[in-house]
Amino acid sequence: MMAPMELIIELILMPLVAFVVGMMMVLMMRRIAAKLQRRIGPPFFQPLYDIVKLHSKQTQISHGLIHDIGIVMAMGGYIAAETLLPVPGMTGIAEKGGIITLLYLMMIPSLGLALGVGQCANPNGSIGIARALTAMLAYDIPLVIVIFGVAYAAGTTNLVDIIAVQQAGGFETWGAVQMPVLAIAGLIAMHASLGKQPFEIYIAPAEIATGPMVEMSGKYLGGLFVMQCFQLYTTSVLYVSLFLGGGTTWFDFLLKSFLVLAIPVSIAYLFPRYRTEDLLRLMWKWPVMLGLIGVAFVL
Amino acid sequence: MTLTPLDELLLFSGVTVLVAMLLGRRLPAGWMVTILYGIQLLALMKMAPLGYGGEAISSALTFKVMGQTLSWRFDALSWYFALITLGSALLSSWYACGEWEQRFRQSGGNLWLFHFAMTLNVFSMLILLASGDLLSLFIGWELVSWAGFLLMAMAGGVATKAAMRYITYAMAGAMAIFGGIALVYVSAGSLQYEAILTAASQMSTAHLWMLVILFGAGFGIKMGLMPFHLWQAPAYAETPGPGSAFLGAISSRMGLFAILLVLVKLFGIVNIDSLKIPFTLIDARDLLAWIAVFTIIFPTFTAMKQNDARQLLAWHGIGQGGYMLLGLVVADAMGAAGGLLHVFNHATYQAALFMAVTAVIHRTGTADLNKLGGLVVRMPLTFMVLLVGIIGLAGLPPMNGFVSKWLVYRSLLNEGMPLLFVAAVIGTLGTILSVYKLIHNIFLGQLRVEHDKVKEAPWSMMIPMLILAAIIFITGLLPGIPLAWVASVQQAVGLPVPDYTLGGVESASGSLDMIWVIGVLFAGFGIGALIFYFAGGRSKRVHQLDNYAGGHFLTADVRYQYSDNFYAGLMHLIGGWYRGSFLWLEQSVKSLVEFLSLGMQGLYRRANAEFYLLSTALFVIAWVVI
Amino acid sequence: MSSIKQIPVITERKGNPLARVFDEFVRFCRSRSLFILHYCTGCGAIELPPAMTSRFDMERLGIQPMVSPRQADILLITGYVSIKTLKRVILTYEQMGSPKYVIGICSCTVNGGMYWQSYATAKKLDEYMPVDLYIAGCMPRPEAVLAGLQKLMDRIHSGEANSWEDYFRNYDYYLGNQQKLFGENWQTPTDIITEAKHYDLIGEGTLGKHTQLLEQHQKPLEALDMRLGHDLKEPTE
Repeated sequence: MMAPMELIIELILMPLVAFVVGMMMVLMMRRIAAKLQRRIGPPFFQPLYDIVKLHSKQTQISHGLIHDIGIVMAMGGYIAAETLLPVPGMTGIAEKGGIITLLYLMMIPSLGLALGVGQCANPNGSIGIARALTAMLAYDIPLVIVIFGVAYAAGTTNLVDIIAVQQAGGFETWGAVQMPVLAIAGLIAMHASLGKQPFEIYIAPAEIATGPMVEMSGKYLGGLFVMQCFQLYTTSVLYVSLFLGGGTTWFDFLLKSFLVLAIPVSIAYLFPRYRTEDLLRLMWKWPVMLGLIGVAFVL
Repeated sequence: MTLTPLDELLLFSGVTVLVAMLLGRRLPAGWMVTILYGIQLLALMKMAPLGYGGEAISSALTFKVMGQTLSWRFDALSWYFALITLGSALLSSWYACGEWEQRFRQSGGNLWLFHFAMTLNVFSMLILLASGDLLSLFIGWELVSWAGFLLMAMAGGVATKAAMRYITYAMAGAMAIFGGIALVYVSAGSLQYEAILTAASQMSTAHLWMLVILFGAGFGIKMGLMPFHLWQAPAYAETPGPGSAFLGAISSRMGLFAILLVLVKLFGIVNIDSLKIPFTLIDARDLLAWIAVFTIIFPTFTAMKQNDARQLLAWHGIGQGGYMLLGLVVADAMGAAGGLLHVFNHATYQAALFMAVTAVIHRTGTADLNKLGGLVVRMPLTFMVLLVGIIGLAGLPPMNGFVSKWLVYRSLLNEGMPLLFVAAVIGTLGTILSVYKLIHNIFLGQLRVEHDKVKEAPWSMMIPMLILAAIIFITGLLPGIPLAWVASVQQAVGLPVPDYTLGGVESASGSLDMIWVIGVLFAGFGIGALIFYFAGGRSKRVHQLDNYAGGHFLTADVRYQYSDNFYAGLMHLIGGWYRGSFLWLEQSVKSLVEFLSLGMQGLYRRANAEFYLLSTALFVIAWVVI
Repeated sequence: MSSIKQIPVITERKGNPLARVFDEFVRFCRSRSLFILHYCTGCGAIELPPAMTSRFDMERLGIQPMVSPRQADILLITGYVSIKTLKRVILTYEQMGSPKYVIGICSCTVNGGMYWQSYATAKKLDEYMPVDLYIAGCMPRPEAVLAGLQKLMDRIHSGEANSWEDYFRNYDYYLGNQQKLFGENWQTPTDIITEAKHYDLIGEGTLGKHTQLLEQHQKPLEALDMRLGHDLKEPTE
């Protein structure tokens, strides 16, 4: 049991680090997109400029209390989720929850957002949420298969222990080396969970006018930008913790996180968008199949 | 003869029935009945030590019928279920008092019958829960079936049709149970639990198989297990509002209680485990687990397609029963605790959800999800209750449904059952989709012009709903409270007990502490709120027609709302998978029975004595020869 | 020096210097992060894709396209505005969050251009909404578009680009011009007057005879406030 003061500092630092690293991940994503399209891309502090600008808007509209609360939940849910995600030197309350709890906490922001969007009374937003939930049904099935496999192999749902098991024997005991099939399935599911092309069915700017974001102005949109930073960070760090042995030092931890995120992001900007049912079909076929094979190896 | 606490409880319950029957036509009948439920609950509280590992309490009343002793007793299992029964009865009855009652009477409903049926249901359930041997169990079972029929059928019309369907199923189930009891009697020579316990360990495989199938099917029908689930949703949905809250909360859990008592306590999960299905890798326990999982998935995805809020909830009620059975069948400490805890959790949120939907019907006159929308600005408290309820139903933190589902998942993970685990998660995801549709189509989106002057539900309906919402949250925050009762139930039926704490469960392979999880979650919300309200500028509330429509000018007479075929993309893929196979199966069984009865009828109509004589003689000869 | 009181005194914002640094930082961020909503009314729209894509790459200036008016900072009108379109343009403009900027691209937005004689075209955009910047030309090349955007960025950074306040403070003038074109029954689903009151942006020209005319026939647009119903007040007809 650590000292309470230390714990409080960790609980404050972990979301803060996540936010800063998340902004850099957003920047990386936009830079990769620019490079693939032979552009220069945004300047280094662009994500910060965007967030500050959006929060400094002088007039903005709200469709009611639930609209506001939705944004609060979207940000707050991720802030809470970060404390369950161990990083080098800090474990927060990871031992009180474990990976299943983390997985469910990661749904809270999107569901909070769904409530907020619902009150906007805009069908584009509602269609976006309907599609987002459908996408969740699509990618969460392979994701839970993968998480089952990893947790079963490690014999625990405690993320700290899962990381410790992987770090025990160096490179050979990494999840990705031990369970390569699961790692591939996890990567596909993770890509879909990011909601980038070809899986961005619920943003679909040309179709449903950015879906959930259609009625978001000023700080509302700013909140969603903050949420995106957290989302990128959480997804990639979760993958690193499950398959790449977490991090022993901040350097290799961040290196792994950025590299892992670079894979789906580089693929994303080469593709257009799937239709909803095609996304479901793809997700329920290949990653699920790979995941089940991987779990069969583990059992 | 001295009255034991159990006798007092049953006595009060009987008095409640009498009061409802004799004084039910007076106006304050609802309040009287509610107070009497409260007294029953107090009587139950006198037996509270049962919930913490106390000795079983038996009734002073015993009978001897045909050499069989009929006795009644309460142990931790009965106490736990009785607590849920009386709690939901008290709150639903409270909910019914006041404005709902008046409206019900004005619209031509029979209030006397309603109160009478409710009290009778509670009374018969208590008798069933108190049963001390298989014969009294059967008597209680029949009472519960018929009392349930009374409550379901009272609305008339569609409801009577659904109730007829229910009673057909229930009678078939009762036959199966009766057959099972007869078999037990033949082999054990007695219907006392102790005798059966010893006999069960020496039964042959075929014998055990027979019993598992008979009891499983009989009790499974009440629980709405696949493939006997078809009766439940229409029957519960068509019951008058508070009645469906009560039925949805506890009624079908009587099946689970009986399964616990007979299959788990008497035959023991271990025995069931040893029953292998020839030429396959699965045994009876796997079979039950898979039935549970299909019971989770199919009704949940059927619920997603419903356009009536009550039907949607009723279908979910079937699906959630699957989680309870799944946890129990896994039967390790965490799984069994999860399954049992889910009974309590489900009762709380299902009652709250049915009440919230009934409140919406009370104010707007419809539960059609395509004819509502935007009510959050008019009924905010009902919205809050429904929100708390659906978070519980979907099993997300911070509500209580999360804890029980977490326990079930953990047990599947510990036992290494990936397919069951994934199937359980699919059920949860389907639930999330479906409940978002529920809350979106009722409370979010555009407010209809005709609902502009709708008021919040009256306080007589609001207070029970708020109490339930509070229970859902508190038992989510401190799952240790119900887990203590669950632990003594597990001890009573001979299942392993998990290492629980006030905030969750301790385990070497990953524990759960909801106090921390919820604390951090709300701290996160607090920080989010700080950022949102203080880092950004002011915002202005705007009218719902001030909305992006690609430059189009919105007007109040044109609906700008998305509600029908809500998951269109998903239905493109899985829409074709809804084949109605079970309806087809039910239809074909029905046609077969009709055909046979027609044949028999034709036989009787001939009134041909010689023919009967001849055929009887032929049968006798055949019997003798063979 | 007849009266010393007539000499305007520049009042600096008092308070700590950190606040000034903060304001400067916010203005800088505003100028470096611009979300544009291009209302492609005419041929000028064709010049925007090259400005966005690899040849000129707007994103290196922090400018990116957005979809709905709620998200956008800049409204780009790229060509002639027919009267029917103008209604949508005004609604779109009113739905944007302030600070917001309007850029008129092509000659058509300046004076009607080649549609000068058309009966169905609004000639001068700035009669109907405050325009921050015109980029003239038929059509202006992407270089010109980018030069214009950079000019706007400078003006935002220096705090000069606040014409959006003008729409609130002189709403009567703009509404009058709109009514002249669309008739007396003209009303958008947005409610500029209460918005100006809410944000304390009422100026001398906010209310006038045109807004009176609007209020006479305006359908109520009050926000649907959350209420418990028990204190339900009778709706005012």
